[in-house]
Amino acid sequence: MKNIKGVFLPFSALKFLGKKPHTVRYPLEKKKTAERYRGFHYNDIEECIGCGTCATICQNEAIDMIKIDGIEPKKGDSGLRPRVDNGRCCWCGLCVEMCPTGSLSLTDQYLQTTPDPESFLLIPGVDHPEYGEHKSFVKDDEIRLLDLQRVPMRELDGAERVKSFAEVVLGYMQEEARREASRCVDCAICVTACPDHMHIPEYIAAIADADDELALKYIYDNNPLPELCGKVCTRQCETVCAISHLGDPIAIRWLKRYATEQFPDPAVILNPKIAEPNGKKVGIVGGGPAGLSAGFYLALRGFDVTVYEALPKAGGMTFAGIPKYRFPEDSLDKQISYMEKIGVKIKTNTRIGKDISFEELEKRHDALFLGVGFHVPYRLGIIGEDLKNSIQAVDFLREINLGNKVDVGDKVVVIGGGNVAIDAARVARRLGAEVTILYRRRVEDMPADWEEIEGAEHEGVKIVPQGIPLEIIGKDGKVAAIKYGMAEMVPDPKGGRPRPKLIEGDEHTMEVTSVIGAIGQEADYSFLPERIKEKLEIERGRIKVNEYKQTTIDYIFAGGDTVNRTMDAISAIADGVKAVEGIERFLLGDKNK
Amino acid sequence: MNHEEHIINTIHTTFKSAEAEIQRKGRLLIRLRSDLLPAFVSYLKNYLDFNHLVMISCVDWMEDNQFELVYHLYSYAQKVHAMVKVRLNRSQPQAQTILPFWDQAGTYEREIHEMYGVYFEGHPDLSEFILEDWDDIPPMRRDFKTREFVNENYEWRKGREDAQDVRRTISERYDEKLPQFNNDDKANG
Repeated sequence: MKNIKGVFLPFSALKFLGKKPHTVRYPLEKKKTAERYRGFHYNDIEECIGCGTCATICQNEAIDMIKIDGIEPKKGDSGLRPRVDNGRCCWCGLCVEMCPTGSLSLTDQYLQTTPDPESFLLIPGVDHPEYGEHKSFVKDDEIRLLDLQRVPMRELDGAERVKSFAEVVLGYMQEEARREASRCVDCAICVTACPDHMHIPEYIAAIADADDELALKYIYDNNPLPELCGKVCTRQCETVCAISHLGDPIAIRWLKRYATEQFPDPAVILNPKIAEPNGKKVGIVGGGPAGLSAGFYLALRGFDVTVYEALPKAGGMTFAGIPKYRFPEDSLDKQISYMEKIGVKIKTNTRIGKDISFEELEKRHDALFLGVGFHVPYRLGIIGEDLKNSIQAVDFLREINLGNKVDVGDKVVVIGGGNVAIDAARVARRLGAEVTILYRRRVEDMPADWEEIEGAEHEGVKIVPQGIPLEIIGKDGKVAAIKYGMAEMVPDPKGGRPRPKLIEGDEHTMEVTSVIGAIGQEADYSFLPERIKEKLEIERGRIKVNEYKQTTIDYIFAGGDTVNRTMDAISAIADGVKAVEGIERFLLGDKNK
Repeated sequence: MNHEEHIINTIHTTFKSAEAEIQRKGRLLIRLRSDLLPAFVSYLKNYLDFNHLVMISCVDWMEDNQFELVYHLYSYAQKVHAMVKVRLNRSQPQAQTILPFWDQAGTYEREIHEMYGVYFEGHPDLSEFILEDWDDIPPMRRDFKTREFVNENYEWRKGREDAQDVRRTISERYDEKLPQFNNDDKANG
């Protein structure tokens, strides 16, 4: 019996043929990599802004920033993209941890076999786009090397603010500024958005390195009114800041303010070299940011500069328009006195066409720069507009800033949604009135800065959105009430912002003591003689200029609100700085030739 | 009195100049003069049961002109980790070996000697360890210029010449004239 068993036993092994094997998987299944495995890179090309932080942080110098076909540089994007030398990469993942947009990740792909060493240079996202499906090591919210939270700015409390015109924002202390500046990754994406292309990463790095003097030098290199910008700039730089993609942008504006506030007299630190007088005379019409900037750098380059200003003080809208709680007069005085030290002559209370003729101006100077701004308000175009106490915001703000008294009563309505409207509302609030803002679109459509809108709300300003003024009702020749209708938003057939459409019958009346209109301004070119006006190309109220801010009359240059559409201080300064180059070329010839 | 405080009190009876702090439960930090080191670690080992030498590391405090040796010791009996830190003069870094108490200390000391140039008195063999024919300054010192060394000794991969500098790309595109402020400017104001 034993022998027979020995013959059949081997065949019993056949039964295993039908069993599922434990070890060999067939067909071959790929093994899953570990969680958060760090393989080849993948970059979301659309999300990447080309800030180069990955290349900077790489300890192996494995990452290059290169130009790629089809990706154009634009505001907030350098147009470059990273390329990884996988022969050097050690897959530490620092680039992913530091990526401010979160576009870069490591995948679970790790196979690349080739005899060609050049093929190890891969552009993540362009080479092997299919890796996008295999992201494995992505940015983790718990471990982050970037500091995404802004150092908070100290401000006066809303209830305290309305009692006076004291400055609302208190500014950074030294330690706060250093801490905030240290959050910056030095990528320079902000420079793409600044109309004046200030040297932002350089001065922020200087502040972080505790070298405020160096910061001031970088700041004054192409902006002679930095304290103004440090307080009221529209800061387009912050909207594109690399850190803003995942966190709070660097407080670029407050850091500039910090640097300028450290030194009571910039001349001591900067000690600028003023060129020998070159005998050329330039006249500047309008002492706003554009005119002052042009004047400052022209004076530094040896030109004889005279600024003609109609108001008792230079500064333009920054003096007459911006309320003192945002931009105190001391700050302005400090900057103007520095300009005068450089040699800019400022003739105040001099209106062209009244105190001095345009012909006289042409005779006195070799070139002229027009920076007259937009000071004439648009009319509301409704019944009752000419009643007493129906005033315009720009006039109202100017009178207040000049130190005059304006009686607005105790119930004010401001019409408009821009910064001028908010300024007027907050000033009226400080005069003790109850203030309502009537705006025809939604709050989110307001062109004013959100901080301003928020500030107004904190101070107790009421905002009525989607309200269209219909009629100002008077009593004894004075404003007594305003009638307005509610509007609904309808899409714009041309693809613009949604438009407000009046809802029939939904009308309200509000009792008010004053109506302040703030729906925009335009320029007043009445000081120009006819022969000049004919030759100047003026399009929709704006003078046309070339790249160097030269108008169609070769000796006349222009800048500021008169020329650009962004209509803010920094664009005006940029125009002024650019015009300096143009005027220099025009009067002294192109040095490069 | 808890465990760690008890250890500190015991240490202070003999080593009055040692600065000790409890970092957290089960973790002590002790700073001390470098010449007391062998006596101190021997004391920790023999009286207080710190019989495991975890490792020795070195920190380059270039700005203070000092090196810092950190001895990590562990006591299984008391479940306490002790970090003993001593500072050395960076211009002439010398320490005494602790080889008599732990044999494995020899390897750490030899490596620190090679990477930082700290001389351990009493160590029998401080010869070449990992580096071959090294005639530069010790490479883990912070003033060793890694990039220069790499550029002199290695070739860069070809095909990377098209790399762009982000800052320069942006300033060129927007015609931003970046000023250079050199140190002379700074000195003169």
